[in-house]
Amino acid sequence: MTEDKLSDYLDGLLDAEDRAAFEAHRDGCVACATLAARVSGTVQKLHTLPAIEEPRQLVDAILDATLGPREAKASWRSWVRWLRPVWQPQFAYGALTVLVTLGVVSHALGVRWNTQTLAELSPAAIARNVNRHAHLAYARSSRFVSDLRIVYEIQSRLRPETEPQPEPVQPPAPGQTNGPAPREPHDMNRVNQKSHEFAETAVLLEALIQRRLP
Amino acid sequence: MESDTQLVQLCLRGDDSAWEELVRRHARRVYGLCYRFTSSRHEAEDLSQEVFLRVFKTLGSYSAVHGGFATWMTSLTRNLLIDHYRRTKRDRMTDSMDDAMPELEEKPAAGRRPDQIAQLGELSRQVQQALGKLSPDLREAVILRDLQGLDYQEIQAVLQVPEGTVKSRINRGRIELARVLEQMGIRPQ
Repeated sequence: MTEDKLSDYLDGLLDAEDRAAFEAHRDGCVACATLAARVSGTVQKLHTLPAIEEPRQLVDAILDATLGPREAKASWRSWVRWLRPVWQPQFAYGALTVLVTLGVVSHALGVRWNTQTLAELSPAAIARNVNRHAHLAYARSSRFVSDLRIVYEIQSRLRPETEPQPEPVQPPAPGQTNGPAPREPHDMNRVNQKSHEFAETAVLLEALIQRRLP
Repeated sequence: MESDTQLVQLCLRGDDSAWEELVRRHARRVYGLCYRFTSSRHEAEDLSQEVFLRVFKTLGSYSAVHGGFATWMTSLTRNLLIDHYRRTKRDRMTDSMDDAMPELEEKPAAGRRPDQIAQLGELSRQVQQALGKLSPDLREAVILRDLQGLDYQEIQAVLQVPEGTVKSRINRGRIELARVLEQMGIRPQ
């Protein structure tokens, strides 16, 4: 009986007497109380759900289908309708990225937009400028590599020699004494070699300084 | 603001702006009813267009004596939905669309926090899935009563059945929906 009257009770359609009888039965029956609570909760949930929004184009599609294409009578909104996808944040982010990339590339190519004249925007002038800047960039980079090579060469010459690894001790040959080998000629050779290297380094430094000077 | 009946009279005199106002006023309700019944955004959109086309063609047959314009339009929508249901019954049996989790676009309620909006969206999807498991008679009764907010007399006018049948369908539909939602692990708070 409770199940049959459940929706009437929830919708407030029972009179006072039937309502009291319903509640009395529900309070004494665990199964009916559980059912009433479950259905009441479900109905409350349904009532909290928001309305489903129709697609944006639905109204226009209906009006077009019933009244015919309305472009001629449309307001200013029809002129900016094509901008709808452009207004999306993703498009703005992509456009900003492209602009920044163009700025970086044009800066690297030496293009100065604030001093640009109309004549410089002709295809021939643009091609000439790009060619010129490409050659300049190549010359700068080759000079940089050459300078770098000289600097590394100087650094390698000024770097102290690494300590030679001690040679493994060979057992003395029969009849050989343990005294040190004579070192005087070897030291002399080393001094000569160092002085020769310093002379070469001085020449390289002089060449580098001359390259740097205007 | 003109009433629906006044707008209908203006439409019948050839006032296009009155028709546009009628369409804007009822598009959301018609689309919502179609979507809740079919669980398909594309089908709901096509059916909504079909509803308004039929309303446009038969506007002259509407009379306020038979009830409000909204009820008349809901009745027409319901008839189209039943036709569509019968037409696509075989397709649904092979596609088992009822098991697919529908995607909803709901109007975000003003004054609600993002977590509440997300919870409502999830609940709406679950309810939609549960509604798909109800028989068409019970489904339409619950949708009209609890999601479209029609009263019993309006539902009786839409469904063209006796009042006792309306009450019985609403009651059984609610109990069945609660049972399905509980099976899905959703319990009333």
